[in-house]
Amino acid sequence: MTPNHRCDAIVVGAGPAGVAAAITMAKGGLKVCLIERGRLPGAKNLFGGVLYPHALAEVIPDYAERHPPFERPVTEQGYWLLSPDSVVRIMHKSVHYKTAPTGAYTALRARFDAWFAEQAVQAGVLLITKTTVTEVVRDARGRALGVATDRPEGLVQAPILVIAEGVNNLLTQSLGLAKGDLPPRYVALSVKEVLALPAAEIEARFGLAGADEGVAIDIFGDATLGLPGTAFIYTDAKAISIGVGLLLEELIVHNLKPYEILARFKAHPVVRPYLAGATVLEYGAHLIPEQGYDRMPDLVGDGVLIAGDAAAMVDAVHREGSNLAMTAGRMAGETALEAHRRGDFSAAFLRAYRTKLEESFVLKDLKQYRRMTDFLDSTPHVIGTYVDFMNEAALRYFTAQGMPKREMEGEILGLLRGRRSFFGIAHDMMKLLRGLRG
Amino acid sequence: MHTIVAIKQVPDTTHVRIDPETGTLIREGVPAVINPYDRHALEMAIRLKERFGGTVTVLTMGPPKAAEALVECVEQGADRAILLSDRKFGGADTLATAYVIAHAIAAIQVEDPADLLLFGKQAIDGDTAQVGPGVATRLAVPLITYAMRIESLDPATRTAIIHRRIEQGIEVLETTLPALLTVEKEIATIARAPLPNLVRAAHYRPETWDATTPVPFDPARIGIKGSATIVSKAFTPPRKEPGERMSVAESGLTRVVGQALQRLVTAGVLSSAPATAPRDESNA
Repeated sequence: MTPNHRCDAIVVGAGPAGVAAAITMAKGGLKVCLIERGRLPGAKNLFGGVLYPHALAEVIPDYAERHPPFERPVTEQGYWLLSPDSVVRIMHKSVHYKTAPTGAYTALRARFDAWFAEQAVQAGVLLITKTTVTEVVRDARGRALGVATDRPEGLVQAPILVIAEGVNNLLTQSLGLAKGDLPPRYVALSVKEVLALPAAEIEARFGLAGADEGVAIDIFGDATLGLPGTAFIYTDAKAISIGVGLLLEELIVHNLKPYEILARFKAHPVVRPYLAGATVLEYGAHLIPEQGYDRMPDLVGDGVLIAGDAAAMVDAVHREGSNLAMTAGRMAGETALEAHRRGDFSAAFLRAYRTKLEESFVLKDLKQYRRMTDFLDSTPHVIGTYVDFMNEAALRYFTAQGMPKREMEGEILGLLRGRRSFFGIAHDMMKLLRGLRG
Repeated sequence: MHTIVAIKQVPDTTHVRIDPETGTLIREGVPAVINPYDRHALEMAIRLKERFGGTVTVLTMGPPKAAEALVECVEQGADRAILLSDRKFGGADTLATAYVIAHAIAAIQVEDPADLLLFGKQAIDGDTAQVGPGVATRLAVPLITYAMRIESLDPATRTAIIHRRIEQGIEVLETTLPALLTVEKEIATIARAPLPNLVRAAHYRPETWDATTPVPFDPARIGIKGSATIVSKAFTPPRKEPGERMSVAESGLTRVVGQALQRLVTAGVLSSAPATAPRDESNA
């Protein structure tokens, strides 16, 4: 390999994992080359909209002074259980969210990722955009030597690579670390719209006191036609992020189009008033790797570390991903720094990265929810069944109709038993518990 | 061989929307790009550098943000980039802009005389095509507009043969150098920039010239003061009402054509309706 550029470490992909790795290594004194295929960092990236800065704080301790482009702090969050004509809301609002040292913020990735990558550039990282890494160049023994890009004179050499290429992990696959494309039962497809509304209007509709309050709602039930999946509504500064996500397999089996499900969700009688008069600012779709702990790619090769979506670091239960990615990116960066100090880039040494992740929330959480996908897979109608029941029960419960309360309670019980036998309910609960406990 | 390329950063028209109330362009949040014709002018300069050696200088007048466009030129292969940026330059029409660009090019040429000056044929935001010719006039160099091909160029004899697009076809001209060309997109295809260029551009900061240093500009000839254009009024033409609709399915083709012809006669477009009504072709 005759390189056109040499550095100490190459990072593929300027998303949360890649940028966190790049900053960590640059602060440790390495010459880092961060290669991004988009025109700008963030141009190709999308998430629902909630960012947890605890992971950011460990990469950039003074991040708050650097004015990250957050939309709103999340001061109220919870769930909507949506039936075709009703909703049961379980929302939590607290002043504690305002004082918590590490809360949650809504954000838009096109803006956040550009800011995050700018912090990397300021730390001395060489950021190359509009350039796709096409291949990991390896020696006869399979050790990574660097990368080839889709540019003339495009070979870059470094003793270590952090691959944070995202869900479409072609490089990870080419190294044999991931076994081919993900089957559709383990990939979710999310579609999202950002709808512009004046700040005052958003605050009035969602009951917010001002720009320092925001809502994050996850919605189950009719939003996804009762299928396993979620919808979401998050308040941005001057827009609402709204979307739905379902497993690809459900979309294929039921012949559903994600944008039609989103359009249907937006037209729901409970949802529609929140969106009235809003104009579409942008729309997008993205795949989410939800294969879980047991089917993650290998995280380490000779001279290679994998982080973020490329390694399926997504906690679908708690809609977390970017914080797992940032934490993993930082740990990959720390491991690369240790490898440089020791002059050892072998997979055996780099396994320390996996150990760090096992000791952190990243792999602990993924391990705990390892059976969650299978739970939803084996009982696909469980969500729709219970959500509809809760709405009908609530309607009975809150309606005075001159009926003795005991009879009303009996009727509610009847509603439940009509849907699911006691044995069935017990079975569902046990499976859910197993999904949650790991 | 020294080529100077003048570029402009323009809003990406694929993203521009019009404010229905004010009738003006919504520029906020619209990504800025290098004027497409200017990109091809730059590419031609880089091809000449590859062939004859030498350097490519790029310049633009604009806000500090226009430095992005210059960095992109360095990615493509420009050697030197100059940003003419000063509030005093602001509000310039093509007259003031042509003066500033010409004056700056003259200043660049004191140390490094140019063999060729390349401009895009026009900017996609204003579509005036006036700045290039204005600069050529001020610098007293030959001007060839709508250049689409450089057939030959000889730095030794300082001559070139240029093809330019005219309405009737293509005009082939021989010119002495230096000359100023405003170019069509066919002048050169845009190549994918090699990676080392991107590495260089990542660290490159364009030189910034203001209205006084390093070259003093005549304050009376720059910005709004130096502009002759007066915008007395801007308006949006009223939306045209859709025309009358006639249904072939309901009335039949013959009847609809007959009625349409009658309308044209009434409107004075036709002097009289044809003597025989056209036959229904589907039944013929």
